[in-house]
Amino acid sequence: MSEVCFYDVRVIDGTSTSIVLDNGNIEEISVNYSRGCGVRALCGGSWGFTTAEGNFDINDAISSASELAQQMNNISPKEKVELKPMEEPVLKDLPVATIDPKDIPIEDKVQLLKDIDSHAKIDGISSTSAVYSEASVKIQYINSEGIDCEYDLIRTGFAISAVASEGGAYQVGRESRFGVSGYELFEKNDVFALAESAGRTAVELLGAKQAKGGTLPVILDPELAGVFAHEAVGHASEADLVLEGSSILAGRIGEQIASPLISIIDDPTIHEYGYYPFDSEGVRSSKTTIIKDGTLNSYLHSRETAAALGGEPGNCRAQGYSAPIVRMSNTYIDNGNSNFDEMLEEVKDGMYLTGSRGGQVNTGEGIFQFNAEKGYLIENGEVTTLLRDVSLSGKTLEILNNVTLVGNDLKMHSGRCGKGGQLAPVSDGSPHISISKALVGGA
Amino acid sequence: MFDLAEKTLKIAEQLGADEAEVFIIHSRSITADIKKNTIESAKERGSEGIGIRTIVNGAVGFASTNIVERIDEAVKVAVASAKVRESDPEWTSLPSNSKYPKVSGTFDKKIDELGLDECISLTGEMINGALSVPDINTTSGSFSTTISKQLIMNTNGVEVIDEGTGVSGFVDVITTDGDISTAYDFEVSRSLDIDTFNIGKNAADLAIRSQNGISIEPQKTNVILHPFAFSDILGNTFEPSIDADNVQKGRSSLIGKIDESIATSELTIIDDGTLHAGMETSISDEEGTPSQRTTLIEKGVFRSYLYDNYTAGKGKTTSTGNGIRHSYSSTPSVGSRNLIIDYPQSDVIGETDEGVFINTVIGAHTANAISGDFSVEARNAFTIKDGKIDKPIKSLMLSGNIFEMLNNITGAGTDVRKVGGTVTPPLKVANMSIVG
Repeated sequence: MSEVCFYDVRVIDGTSTSIVLDNGNIEEISVNYSRGCGVRALCGGSWGFTTAEGNFDINDAISSASELAQQMNNISPKEKVELKPMEEPVLKDLPVATIDPKDIPIEDKVQLLKDIDSHAKIDGISSTSAVYSEASVKIQYINSEGIDCEYDLIRTGFAISAVASEGGAYQVGRESRFGVSGYELFEKNDVFALAESAGRTAVELLGAKQAKGGTLPVILDPELAGVFAHEAVGHASEADLVLEGSSILAGRIGEQIASPLISIIDDPTIHEYGYYPFDSEGVRSSKTTIIKDGTLNSYLHSRETAAALGGEPGNCRAQGYSAPIVRMSNTYIDNGNSNFDEMLEEVKDGMYLTGSRGGQVNTGEGIFQFNAEKGYLIENGEVTTLLRDVSLSGKTLEILNNVTLVGNDLKMHSGRCGKGGQLAPVSDGSPHISISKALVGGA
Repeated sequence: MFDLAEKTLKIAEQLGADEAEVFIIHSRSITADIKKNTIESAKERGSEGIGIRTIVNGAVGFASTNIVERIDEAVKVAVASAKVRESDPEWTSLPSNSKYPKVSGTFDKKIDELGLDECISLTGEMINGALSVPDINTTSGSFSTTISKQLIMNTNGVEVIDEGTGVSGFVDVITTDGDISTAYDFEVSRSLDIDTFNIGKNAADLAIRSQNGISIEPQKTNVILHPFAFSDILGNTFEPSIDADNVQKGRSSLIGKIDESIATSELTIIDDGTLHAGMETSISDEEGTPSQRTTLIEKGVFRSYLYDNYTAGKGKTTSTGNGIRHSYSSTPSVGSRNLIIDYPQSDVIGETDEGVFINTVIGAHTANAISGDFSVEARNAFTIKDGKIDKPIKSLMLSGNIFEMLNNITGAGTDVRKVGGTVTPPLKVANMSIVG
């Protein structure tokens, strides 16, 4: 039987607390203590992977992953997998939690969340829900090449949603902030104003008109354009998808694929929600320019995809003990130099889409769909009627080429991204952008 | 398992809990993953953990862990967080010991005994099936088996242990020649009876048939939704609206609609936790309430919401056995079990002169779960002409409202599929709005 040529181990210790309020009443307070590991072993071209929880023996876990890899390689031998060489990561500039949430009594956290909740309950709101979450995690990484490193990270955040209803119609407004920071997150953000804004959105949407579908010029706000950058472009630039043949961006490095106004960047080093000092392969994080002035510049890589396609690793991430895969971190469209008024003038008659209710993408065909929280008609260069249930869909490359102006007001939003059944904390963002032609769907 | 559970309950009572409950799960799964026509990796995952609910003076606390040494600490935290809360007047009590139904088809010894080599060969069959169609690559996919054992024990005498198996096969394919087109197919089962070769072949056939799609004009027409498309929309619109928790909080369009007609008179929808070989079948739900069969829509008339133990107490009714946990680290909440969609079946495509057939949709999770409005991108869609599938459609947005849809169902096909817990035929809906 062939020998195992590589293995690595991630040991994760975590404590998390969440508080859920419903209509201002505590619905749940939940605390979790967990410890587990994910172990990979490589034999030839076959990966073996095991997880263990609680009290495990690291050597046992390595042995079982190794056996799986060896068995796999025997039954279904394939071309040897190469891993791009890496260095021991140097940790610096880690986010510092000035207020450790552990030091705040649970009663205070409950009170803060109740205060946030009450700010969302403006006139016209029939119900609210609010969530507080904190998690502290210690991640240790070791591999058969002698790398041994670890870091601690604290993440906190909250989400609020408000429902307005009238005559059997319902509308929801949501706001949230999550970050790699301690309890000071609640001081750095005007959380009460955010809660009020969630309430206002719901109330306004109740009175909004249904959108009429069609192909139109549009302006996207930083949140929605950020979702586009993440969903439509970011996922297609993940090198595992490129290698398996399900990315529209395969084989296009160096090609002009977007308007020269567009640069898209993934940067895990900035202290946003998608931050990490080293990834789940122990590779130190670094900034990647995916699209540079309209030209496809780089994919996002793991050590395996970087060796296969050429590129730099550092974007391999895992949820908990799961097997790491190529993921984004903090992904954004870089600032241009236009302002919103110039965009209105450019668009003249079209639609202004703001906020996001999520989206999906088919990276193989380069098609995406996502729903805006709100839409506004743009008539004769002015923002006029509010619209609800507006969705945007189309071909990624067409949209990228149809960008006519890029603003200078970049803003990031935190969220969680799902891929392969795993959720990862990420952020995405953009300045306002205007697009000459996009397919807008209504109800 | 039993000893640990009993010990944990004792600690909770000693710390002052009036009631306490432990949920322990042990599960093991083997997965073989496909990447670009090869089987790339083998995974063996073991998971075990304990969730502890404690009730002090009508307030509930919860903590969980997978570390045996920290169970005591978790119980302490659960009791302490219950004490932080004000007493909840809606809280009644944890479920009591009851009579449990017999269920069948939920454990297959063959899955328990399946080795990695057999998993790999079944995964290989999925690739072979796809590649039996020319000009196709499998981009990704997986085959996996799961065995899990869970115990629910509480201080009211509930002591339920349930063991089950599951198997699933999934594959994603793309065309390699001419127009790029993708498709996927999957199957799930409680026993080792899925045909993995067919999963691959079906996905490949669909991708090839979807090539060179045409554009169509915006219109209102008959739409036939494949079980994948229908269950995706249903799960994001109808299911949240029958959840008693949403109803009690004013977040459902079905508030006050009991015994009213909400759907076409030939449609019946049943939630059944006891369905033979159902993906969500077990003797009890995940807080120890016996599984049951609940009629949600009976010949068009809305009959019941779904309740877990808490919402049943609050609604002064009994739990329908729909207390579901996502993992040991989460508290129970309302969730459907096996959702069975029943409508008289016929050759639904053959009877359609003009319309559209949609296999899958993307973006169903962006639907408005309260109003039931949705706007999704249809994938692998085709025009129907004179009773036959005619041409593929390149790009299509489907918009509508689930409650209007339930009234506009005019037919069902014969190919019933298990999509997770949802068991449904393809359904034909009249007068749906599409934008090409």
